[in-house]
Amino acid sequence: MKRLLLRLLVLSVLLVAMPYAAAFAGLAPEWTLYALAIGVNGVIVSLMALGAVRRDRLPRSLVWTFAGLFVLCAGAFVVALALPANEGVGGPLLLGLPLRTAIVLYGIGVVPIAILPFAYALTFESSTLSDDDLVRVREAYERVSAAKERDEREPAGEAA
Amino acid sequence: MIVAVALVYFIIVAAIATWATRRTRSASDFFVAGAGVGLWTLAIAKMAATLSGFAFIGGPGLVYTIGIGAVFIILPGAVSNALGAWVLAKKMRLLGEARGLFTIPDAIGARYRSRLAQGLAASAVLVAVVGYIATNLLALGLVIDAIFGTGLATGILIGTAIILTYSVAGGILAGIYTDVFQGSVMALASAIVFYYAMRSGGGMGHISRTVMAADAAFMGPWGRIGPLAAMSFFFVFGVGSLGQPHVVHKFYMLRDPRQLKWYPLLMTVALAVTQLLYVGVGVAMKGLVAGGTLAPLARADQATPQFLLHYTPTLVAGLVFSGVAAAIMATVNSFMSVGAAALTHDLPIALGGRVRDELFWGRVSTFVLAVVSAGVALASGTLVAFLGIFGWGLFGSTIVPALAIGLNWDGATREGAIASIATGLAVTLVGETLGYFKLYGLPTGVTVSALALVSSLLVFFAVSWLTRRGAQPLDADIQLVMEA
Repeated sequence: MKRLLLRLLVLSVLLVAMPYAAAFAGLAPEWTLYALAIGVNGVIVSLMALGAVRRDRLPRSLVWTFAGLFVLCAGAFVVALALPANEGVGGPLLLGLPLRTAIVLYGIGVVPIAILPFAYALTFESSTLSDDDLVRVREAYERVSAAKERDEREPAGEAA
Repeated sequence: MIVAVALVYFIIVAAIATWATRRTRSASDFFVAGAGVGLWTLAIAKMAATLSGFAFIGGPGLVYTIGIGAVFIILPGAVSNALGAWVLAKKMRLLGEARGLFTIPDAIGARYRSRLAQGLAASAVLVAVVGYIATNLLALGLVIDAIFGTGLATGILIGTAIILTYSVAGGILAGIYTDVFQGSVMALASAIVFYYAMRSGGGMGHISRTVMAADAAFMGPWGRIGPLAAMSFFFVFGVGSLGQPHVVHKFYMLRDPRQLKWYPLLMTVALAVTQLLYVGVGVAMKGLVAGGTLAPLARADQATPQFLLHYTPTLVAGLVFSGVAAAIMATVNSFMSVGAAALTHDLPIALGGRVRDELFWGRVSTFVLAVVSAGVALASGTLVAFLGIFGWGLFGSTIVPALAIGLNWDGATREGAIASIATGLAVTLVGETLGYFKLYGLPTGVTVSALALVSSLLVFFAVSWLTRRGAQPLDADIQLVMEA
């Protein structure tokens, strides 16, 4: 799972880099904006999923949450790019904002608030460290520290 | 009335700081609040530290100028808290638990077993911190001058003295508990002003219609800056949120890692409420000007003060001015703590030594940082704004790959981390300097911070891949933390 997510992350970063590379080359093809829209959300969602992976597995509920989040956020950007500009006099409003603006602001700025924190809380127990895990981390650090101290002492002893 | 509200506010801050100072007995108390902070305290303090005076003054002014495009700076707040929780929260808290780490460069040094990576990260933190503190002290000087009529220079000095008093004495412990009070003031002030903003323009729909008739691009999804720049904001402020040391280091402070369960919800709601003013005032002022009710503003930064003056009761105006001071002071205190830790803890370790009395030298460093930053704020005029601008981008490009990805990918190498930090530093400093002195202009829509972040990410992956064969194995406890 981590391998797949890392590949998606690298691919997303490359998509983000495309419009900048095109701009420096003096080109500005419109498709690079779509690449940016997909890439930016790909970076965020793949990073989120990477952080949520435990023992190389991602709970099924989170797979759907992250997939849905990506479709929602990237989709909102893509739709706003694809729809014709109609923000002049008499343009349609949705919940008080021009249509394209409403799709972006409510789609990306509001809907995730109602989903992500709850997805995190609902899957929290399954991925929380137990007291045993905490003890294992502390013991591992003590072993590492002891080994380092030993390594530092030994060369001095040899020199003596 | 405004002066009275502000005075009451400063007295409360002083009382909280005095109480917290009595509890500061060790370097751990000073830098990470003794790792004894509860969830509510953590969430509100993080929110207060995240939002500087920009959210109350510069932000609404930016919305007034470039329209909806400016909202892309705060839009990632809907996802960035959950992102931080999944990617960093538990791992950072565990690193603090297992190794007693204080700082973000500490975590980078431990992850890669590299003093060079830790030193480079600490250097980047220091550069950005001085710029950030100077910018915020200048803004605080403006607010104090506006309330008490002290003049700008005296305002800066008074503001610096107030923050120094509780930061030097109580460190982050005093900062955390004053942040809780200050964060609550900020959220309350923002929600009330948003109500008055919507009422002043006859509701969101009416405001939209008025602005659309005068300036269609303003209300478009990308504002006046176009899709490339708007989505670049979203990228830098979304992904870059994982690299903000004054925010991320607060994960070390949580008393119990299991309290993190509801952290994203609390933090996201607190942040959303506090950012209502940012959008509401900027759009409402544009509507009032477009509708002919108000004359165009001479300076965009006047959007919030003018709105408060004309459309809110005096008590609310006093509360908001206190909220602005609160936002600035909370942010500056966090930066002082982060900068002092870089000076007294990370750089000595990077140079192969260790400071004996970190609490004492932490206090000395906090004082030195504040004095240097106040000097920069007083002496350099508009250069201060330039220093503040690249702070977020510099943190993002130098810290996100090495820390956020590095703690979730065991294939990341020391060389990759060092190369990405160096790339972030170089691209940001060179790009921003050339741009500020007008020696080179980037193509339309391309920002230095986005360019630095994407470059450092690509360098991180490429160098890690190229050096993967000679990579050293991870320490056993770091491996366990990464698998947690």
